[in-house]
Amino acid sequence: MSAQIPISTFKPYRGEKARLARAYDYLILVLALFLFIGSFHLHFALTVGDWDFWVDWKDRQWWPLVTPLIGITFPAAVQSVLWDKFRLPLGATLCVAALLIGTWVTRVFAYHYWNYFPINMVLPATMIPGALVLDTLLMLTNSLTITSIFGGAAFALLFYPTNWPIFGMFHQPVEVANSQLTIADLFGFQYIRTGMPEYLRIIERGTLRTYGQYATPLAAFCSALLCSLMYPLWWYIGKWFADTRYLKSI
Amino acid sequence: MATTTEHVSLSTEPPKLLPWYLIDLPKYLKGFGILTVIYVGLRLYQGAFAIEHGLDSTEPAFEQYWMRLFYIELAIIAAVASGYWGYLWTTRDRNLEQLAPKEEIRRYFTLTMWISIYTFAVYWAGSYFAEQDNSWHQVAIRDTPFTANHIIEFYFNFPLYVILGGCAWLYARTRLPLYAKGISLPLTLAVFGPFMILVSVGFNEWGHTFWFREEFFAAPIHWGFVIGVWFALGVGGILLQGVTRLIELLDRIPDAE
Repeated sequence: MSAQIPISTFKPYRGEKARLARAYDYLILVLALFLFIGSFHLHFALTVGDWDFWVDWKDRQWWPLVTPLIGITFPAAVQSVLWDKFRLPLGATLCVAALLIGTWVTRVFAYHYWNYFPINMVLPATMIPGALVLDTLLMLTNSLTITSIFGGAAFALLFYPTNWPIFGMFHQPVEVANSQLTIADLFGFQYIRTGMPEYLRIIERGTLRTYGQYATPLAAFCSALLCSLMYPLWWYIGKWFADTRYLKSI
Repeated sequence: MATTTEHVSLSTEPPKLLPWYLIDLPKYLKGFGILTVIYVGLRLYQGAFAIEHGLDSTEPAFEQYWMRLFYIELAIIAAVASGYWGYLWTTRDRNLEQLAPKEEIRRYFTLTMWISIYTFAVYWAGSYFAEQDNSWHQVAIRDTPFTANHIIEFYFNFPLYVILGGCAWLYARTRLPLYAKGISLPLTLAVFGPFMILVSVGFNEWGHTFWFREEFFAAPIHWGFVIGVWFALGVGGILLQGVTRLIELLDRIPDAE
């Protein structure tokens, strides 16, 4: 047994029924807000985590790759329900905005006011521009394929340039004890994190530095490819969870 | 003076502040208020006593300020679980076949409020206190599974949202015909999946016996929590089930201004 929406009954409600439907909408809005802050934030904190927490982790190699790749998951899953079933083109923006509310509240009250990390050290990244493009593209094309390829790619490619105005200043070079660091690195060395060993604070790896200015676009395009694949995967995960069956037993 | 008489008779009726479908709204708002006071109170307690008495689990003060809180939490959790689940089960509707459409609509609103309270608890457990765990463990050495943040996050917040999710599940199962006839798959996923996050505490703490540090938060020993929270996406299915049934029920009641 599963729920089937009777199409013949779709008609505008009036009077009490209209007010009832509107009241239900408001209840769902409150429910959805806390649901997506709580669930998406936990998912994000435990998979992207450190790249979003700390300014010195916002490197050119992993940050532009990991953040959009994990960040596109819940937006895709929620779009598959809100767009497919309700024609609401806001699933991605809703998820990302909810995540941003959750991270900001935590960074201010858990990091800054409790443990005295400077707020500049723990600023969250934004994915709002990519989410807006993702929602707009789905609405305009109504196509999972086009949104996966172009929306997924845009979500990844927009990430670094739209965050640059927030984090660019922390990439300024400084000289400390005869070594050249970025200001972000300096934050990492000045504010001791007891749980984080020294080797994890040297973020960039391999021959990256010989790649110079090409490292960031390379990471972004790699992320674009992976996001194009991650998007449809999570679209179908969202669909699977939004099952409407009633079972005889569990 | 007929008009005056009419006014007098109307004024003796109790004022209807809320429509029939929102009769449980005050309880819902009180639920939000009570939870907010509890969570903010716990955060203030951490602010007051974590640095002073919560850095070393071998200190006698740790026992006094933190382990005592842990035991109190366990007692509260046991009382709330047995109280709410017992109440919902013993007061179940035994005559669901006779349920009027208006009453069923009202109950769908109340179920939505239960799920909303559940998601509010998921917010505090999954968002605020979860990420605060990283912040605290970059300041304190985690020399015990009962750190100043774990005592609140793992042993109070997690069980509390499990209890509230269980309340939503039981409410639906005992008071709404469709949920009583069959077991809703999305509601079950949305309640039992996040319950597995509580179970994942065991895996997490076992992993941390190897690394007492929080080297990095995105480590694989934390991914059990991640898989559990994906199941919260089942709420999309609950919404579809609810909307579908409400459309049917609204067709069965007369239009009113």
